[in-house]
Amino acid sequence: MDFDSQVKVCVYRHFADTGEAPTAVDVAGRLGCSSGQVIDAYTRLRLRRVLLLEEDGSTIRMAPPFSGIPTPHRVESAGRWYYANCAWDALGIPAALHRNAVIYSECGQTGEPLRLEVGGSGPEQSNWLFHCLVPAAQWWVDLVFT
Amino acid sequence: MLLFRSEERVSEWCSERGVPQRPLVTVPQLWQLAAAWYSSRLEADARRPDPDEIRAIFARIGLADPFWDPQADTFAGPV
Repeated sequence: MDFDSQVKVCVYRHFADTGEAPTAVDVAGRLGCSSGQVIDAYTRLRLRRVLLLEEDGSTIRMAPPFSGIPTPHRVESAGRWYYANCAWDALGIPAALHRNAVIYSECGQTGEPLRLEVGGSGPEQSNWLFHCLVPAAQWWVDLVFT
Repeated sequence: MLLFRSEERVSEWCSERGVPQRPLVTVPQLWQLAAAWYSSRLEADARRPDPDEIRAIFARIGLADPFWDPQADTFAGPV
């Protein structure tokens, strides 16, 4: 496995195991390299649209579907809490973990809370709807806004 | 990318912001998208779908509108 893939897997495993973004020091310690090498890999992974970084270039904002910061889209699975980047990613977390989960989100207009259980065959019956304002061709122009 | 209790709530949200209402996605469709996008994401060789794969994923679940085309010229320019 090449170095960038090792960094990617380490980042995603950290999110899956802890619900939080790893620091570059965390990843460097795990891989036995320098944090500078990790940050260089982050930059390349950003260009490949694997990660989204904060302006400091070294803090992970998104490793989709996981969010490095709190959001209104929370997921509980196996006793651990995760933040998702958006409603789509909230369903992406149980899909990525291959575990049952409960999604907590809200109506974008009224704030009415949503609790949605996701089992092995998918989410429970629900009449809620998903709406995406930004066309697919522009998602990565401003992923935070998307 | 938000969830709404009903189409009426989506319409209100769009109207208040003066933005167009886009194609709506049901929860079962959203689950299919999430599974297609992310089910292998923790694996070493996982990668984001390429444009052709993205179009195929959307088409498979009935989302064929150009809105979902990652290379559509129709939507060039700011939102």
